[in-house]
Amino acid sequence: MTPDALNRLVAQLAKLPGIGEKTAQRLAFHVLRAPAEYARGLSAALLDVVDHVSLCPKCFSLCDKAHPQCGFCSDTRRDDKLLCVVEGIADELALERTREFKGRYHVLHGVLSPLEGVGPDQLRIRELLTRLQDTDVEEVILATNPDVEGEATALYLTRLLKPMGIKVTRLAQGIPMGGDLEFADQATLARALSARRDI
Amino acid sequence: MKLLSLSYENFRNLAQVTLEPSAHTTVAVGENGQGKTNLLEGVYFLATLKALRASKLLELVRFGQTFSRVSGRFSLGGAEREIAVEIRNGVRTAFVDGKRAQSLESYFGGVSVVAFTPDDLSVVKGSPEGRRTFLDRAVFNRFPAFLDESREYQRALKSRNRLLKDRAPFAHLSAWDATVAKVGARLWVRRRALLGELATGVVEAFSRIGRTEAPAQLLYAPERLAGVDFATASEEQLMHALAAGLDARLQRDWERGFTSVGPHVDDVELKLGEHSARAYASQGQSRALVLAWKVAEIENLQRTSGFLPLLLLDDVSSELDPERNAFLMQYLANSGAQVLLTTTDAQLVRSAAGADTRWYKVKTGLVEAVDG
Repeated sequence: MTPDALNRLVAQLAKLPGIGEKTAQRLAFHVLRAPAEYARGLSAALLDVVDHVSLCPKCFSLCDKAHPQCGFCSDTRRDDKLLCVVEGIADELALERTREFKGRYHVLHGVLSPLEGVGPDQLRIRELLTRLQDTDVEEVILATNPDVEGEATALYLTRLLKPMGIKVTRLAQGIPMGGDLEFADQATLARALSARRDI
Repeated sequence: MKLLSLSYENFRNLAQVTLEPSAHTTVAVGENGQGKTNLLEGVYFLATLKALRASKLLELVRFGQTFSRVSGRFSLGGAEREIAVEIRNGVRTAFVDGKRAQSLESYFGGVSVVAFTPDDLSVVKGSPEGRRTFLDRAVFNRFPAFLDESREYQRALKSRNRLLKDRAPFAHLSAWDATVAKVGARLWVRRRALLGELATGVVEAFSRIGRTEAPAQLLYAPERLAGVDFATASEEQLMHALAAGLDARLQRDWERGFTSVGPHVDDVELKLGEHSARAYASQGQSRALVLAWKVAEIENLQRTSGFLPLLLLDDVSSELDPERNAFLMQYLANSGAQVLLTTTDAQLVRSAAGADTRWYKVKTGLVEAVDG
């Protein structure tokens, strides 16, 4: 019989995505064997995340609760005329890694997906529209994924934004840079071929 | 492309079977219900990851087992590859040379099969759905990207139907209309391209087997496609036309809860001269038509990909009259293609056999090599 405290830890760890019962057990044993400081640090870090991180009230990216806005929104060097709409925070971070985009972001926290019961009201779309009401934004870049849900979301937003007199653009689709043609999957390659352009 | 060997484990009623097919014709002889079709089903599953007849993956696993595997060694462009597919607890996994396949495209690279079953013979007189499936199998063989594209379409369509049923606001619905139109136009272009390639081949093949003066024709034109000529329209024009069609039928679709226009409701019209084959063709003529379509498909694949697909024929001979069967057997013997065929009566397929034909006897799930 294992002590209840250990069982509780295993049960909590096993709720994490990608973690099964066995891995949870392994992680729990690791915590148990490590110096007590590790467990204290871990639990403090866990609590800190819940207590101190929230969503930015403007762009719905991650934000320190102590600040009124996130780092992207409060950065004065960024271009207020450009706004990039993304599905999730992971996408935002991916774009940020390019160090090319210097506009602002808006995180939808999902895409339209009737099959999963996600409609416009479950996304941060109303907040986007409110935000665009009186701003300097001239162009909105729709950076949702190129799958059917991302595409439908982009089209839905386009129809809302165009009448507001805002320029709406969509990320191009095609062959990844630095990638060899031979490694591109057929659907991507077929799409890239049909969207070829003059040089 | 050549199939060098095959092995089955717990696949339908085949507990443990190994086959070494001939480079040309391999014949499995057996009574009905012994498992000869399962041999072909396994190859089809291996090559397409889809079941030929069964509707559920679990039906492919031998009764009482939880694991099933089919593998084949292929010679592809001079190299030998082993591809395998497993079903474990209802989940299918594909392997190339023992390694899990990263993507379906890498898995499908180079292997193509054309299957011909008795069910196919009723395509002419059967339902539009049967004809769409028949057509789409051929499109997928010719354009592998079609697999992803048709999955995308199904997903977009299901989403739209769900919104129709949920009485979603029109603003939300119209975003999905545009998505359905975009992906749907792609399917139209693919189907149109394949049928365009097959057109002359079908006429030719049918005149060889049909014993009918009237030329055979495959016609495909979406219904309610206003304002554009389907044969010549660009993909973009088709997209706009489909969007317009969806829009025009919106009220009706909204009331009934499903989408009534698009590639998923289209039909392929088979014609003999001026007449619809569905209404007028005799049984013999409609089978000849299907045969002509298959022959055209095989020849088209050879022309476009440079190699002959592997042919799977499941007990087709017993469904054809002697003269058409003779044509088919002659065609197979002359084509040079690698063929796996099953029959209840070895005599029916003997004219497709040559000196290098391998014969197998199938009885209660056991397969043994025999002399012709």
